[in-house]
Amino acid sequence: MQQGDGTEAQVTWEDQQNINRFGRLNNRFHELTDEIRLAKEANENLEDAGNELILCDEDVVRFQIGEVFAHMPMDDVEARLEQMKEDAAKKLERLEEEKESILAQMAELKKILYGKFKDAINLEED
Amino acid sequence: MAAATSSSAVAASTPQGVPERRGIPAASFVEDVETYLRQAGLDVNSALAFLQERLQQYKMVEMKLLAQQRELQAKIPDIEKCLGIVATLQAKKALGEALIADFELSEGIYSRAKIEDSDSVCLWLGANVMLEYSCDEANDLLKKNLENARASLEVLVGDLQFLRDQQTITQVTIARIFNWDVHQRRSKQSTIKET
Repeated sequence: MQQGDGTEAQVTWEDQQNINRFGRLNNRFHELTDEIRLAKEANENLEDAGNELILCDEDVVRFQIGEVFAHMPMDDVEARLEQMKEDAAKKLERLEEEKESILAQMAELKKILYGKFKDAINLEED
Repeated sequence: MAAATSSSAVAASTPQGVPERRGIPAASFVEDVETYLRQAGLDVNSALAFLQERLQQYKMVEMKLLAQQRELQAKIPDIEKCLGIVATLQAKKALGEALIADFELSEGIYSRAKIEDSDSVCLWLGANVMLEYSCDEANDLLKKNLENARASLEVLVGDLQFLRDQQTITQVTIARIFNWDVHQRRSKQSTIKET
């Protein structure tokens, strides 16, 4: 934590709650960054799978469910893949929205906290 | 006194919120440093040492909870995959077809299995125990496990948030006591200079 010069403003319970909230948002932000990365990878994988399917001209496709590859007709596989792609895209959108919201909230809190404490507080990433 | 037991509610009618959560003691918020030190009867160094120790304890609990969280986060997709397989088996049974699946026999070696009309599945319960269930029973059991896992994860996340809040409060208190001490020494020095 920052070392003050001993003349900074007093910390009230409200300030403490703001600091706590900032901490929580920051943690969630880092978790989200990871989750978004994974979601993007999943989306790309599904895209690639879709492309492979188009190139493949067999009737039966080995579709992975859990640990096994079940033989499924091409149409079923296409339908399932479409569904999975849709779900993955929605999930990614939801995560991105949450990230935006968190960044906005963090900016608000920074304004409030820097406004009161100025140099005595550091809210940046090291 | 509104006890905030849900993970999202932090504000309470008293400034302290909940006194503890599931065995984790809350860090008491210090309104005024001087009053706190006088009431506790501690000098600055003892107070700082006590708070540092508290911080370490919080960190230990955090590591334990994070490990549990990772476990649960791995378990949930597993259960979902099992549900997927059971659903596929049921769908195939409804069509009256056999399910042909390729599975890994050993590293890099796959074999083919033909699963005929299957009324039951075997579920791995852990501890070297596997039980046979009908498809419907298996569905119910897996869904229940999934719900429990998700609920546990939610509670765990709430615990972690609470814990991190207490850590933040403790860190801020440490900084404030330290700064107060610096302030005290400076004002003592300036009074000595003046005399």
